Amino acid sequence: MKKKALDYLLAFIIIISLNFLLPRLLPGDPLAAIYGEEALIAMTSELEAELIERFGLDKSLPEQFIIYLSSLLKADLGYSYYYETSVTKLILGALPWTLLLVGLGLVLSTLLGFILGLESGWNRGRWQDKGILTGLMLLNGFPDFFIGILLLLVFAVSLGIFPLSGALTPYTGLSGFALVRDILWHLSLPLAAVVLSEITASYLLTRTTVITILGEPFILTARAKGLKDTAIRYRHVGKNSLLPILTRTGIRVGRIFAGAIFIEIVFAYPGLGVLIFNSLMARDYPVLQGIFLLVAIGVLATNFIVDLLYKKIDPRVV
Amino acid sequence: MHVDYFNCVKKNNMGRMGLILLVIISTIAIFAPLLTFYHPAETSPNTLQFPSAKHPLGTNDIGQDILSRVLYGARTTLVVAFLVGITSTLLSAFLGGTAALFGGLYERIVMRIADVFLTLPSILVIILITSYVRPGLLMLVIVISAFSWQGGARVIRAQTLSLKNKAHIAAARTFGAGNLYILRKHILPDLGPLMVAGFVQHARRAVFMEAGLAFLGICDPTTVSWGIMLNRALEFAYLNVWYWLLPPGLALSLTVLSFTFLGYALEETVNPRLRVKENA
Repeated sequence: MKKKALDYLLAFIIIISLNFLLPRLLPGDPLAAIYGEEALIAMTSELEAELIERFGLDKSLPEQFIIYLSSLLKADLGYSYYYETSVTKLILGALPWTLLLVGLGLVLSTLLGFILGLESGWNRGRWQDKGILTGLMLLNGFPDFFIGILLLLVFAVSLGIFPLSGALTPYTGLSGFALVRDILWHLSLPLAAVVLSEITASYLLTRTTVITILGEPFILTARAKGLKDTAIRYRHVGKNSLLPILTRTGIRVGRIFAGAIFIEIVFAYPGLGVLIFNSLMARDYPVLQGIFLLVAIGVLATNFIVDLLYKKIDPRVV
Repeated sequence: MHVDYFNCVKKNNMGRMGLILLVIISTIAIFAPLLTFYHPAETSPNTLQFPSAKHPLGTNDIGQDILSRVLYGARTTLVVAFLVGITSTLLSAFLGGTAALFGGLYERIVMRIADVFLTLPSILVIILITSYVRPGLLMLVIVISAFSWQGGARVIRAQTLSLKNKAHIAAARTFGAGNLYILRKHILPDLGPLMVAGFVQHARRAVFMEAGLAFLGICDPTTVSWGIMLNRALEFAYLNVWYWLLPPGLALSLTVLSFTFLGYALEETVNPRLRVKENA
């Protein structure tokens, strides 16, 4: 566990150092790299002097690093000259939408993957298993954003059942139940895309675990006791295959975040993904750095918590 | 572990399908100029045209022939997949192999680096780095490979550790063979199956990554890439340009699938426990 904790600490240090070093060590004007190209358009000589002073760009690298760290500690991620607002504010505005998408996506894809995996593993080799397995393997070959594009083309563009983009209908002044309905209506296609692109991971994992567990003696005992199939399937096999799913959740959070970034772009869903996309276009580096830092720390923290939890749940793990 | 890959893959249904797909895509990539009348970068005043006899998949917003861009796009994808596959496989074999052989501080440092990188959300790190570097194809290969070797290195190290204590290696040592000689002559050949499986996995990931980064617009905009096509076409999605969105997406999915299937088949040859008994 100590070793794991050190891994996370080192990963964290790498993330901070990358964020600090990338704009400063690459060829070109560090000011442009730290503040983005938009800043150069707005740049006056006073502003330039102020920014150099603020980041200590005329000082040595170690001194700059200390300045960088102390501003991070104050939760100051910088200022976006493209959006003309502070990066922290921008991220906080986009974060809820991404969390909604990623959170629901994680829960639904895990749940569906688990159920399908359980049924598939239970019926190993029969047509149900082969059908589900082949279908999901095919699905797994589709890049997440292409799944999004397909859903967009069919359900939004052609059939017009769901909206093309956004997270809300603007300027309607909806509230209460109508607002929730509007949000869910906008959420459904991006969420479906996230779930479809993430379901295979938890499915394959559950299926493999179920097949292993079915060979264990306690299943034979359960059968000998005359328990019903459904009881064995869900209470004995299902419960015991939850463990590996939990351990993988940490890794999957990172993947789902990355997937959500691409899917948000397809549906212009106003979360972090769209923010990243626009910042890439505008070379608005402070925003990119801020999001990267936040998501990376979030993913590391989740992994760490899952590791801790796992030890609590499964005493066999040292 | 001496495996006849071709036969193993051929006998497996999924392997056969993957192989056939990959051969088709490679053929398209190689003979792209013979399959279309248009150069992929050639613009024309006929913009946003619906598929017709002249342009089987229509044209895009600056009048380029979509079919020829899809066909030529296979080149970019396969080149990146192949180069990343080779680079990361060799990196993981070298680092994992030497770590197991040399042991000591060197091993601890290499494996720690691998573990730390495995905890990082690599797609995000790659997006951040490439957003500064704005890579060409070669740089792209280097960046993706730098974040791909870690898992493979762990597998190779484990396998090398078990090979290290086998009798034939001990025999070679008594004849005075050095570490690197043993690595080259005795260990690398036995790592073959693992490396082939690793190559396919790395190549598959690279296809995803290249398309994803191109989709985000982080790469040379003049490259003919399926990811860039999807990115551009998406802006016109409201016009229902399915003939522009579907072909690059399907091409991409088929390429990924071919590597997935191959990987699945190879996994069974590498891991005999997964092999299904033939007369069962």
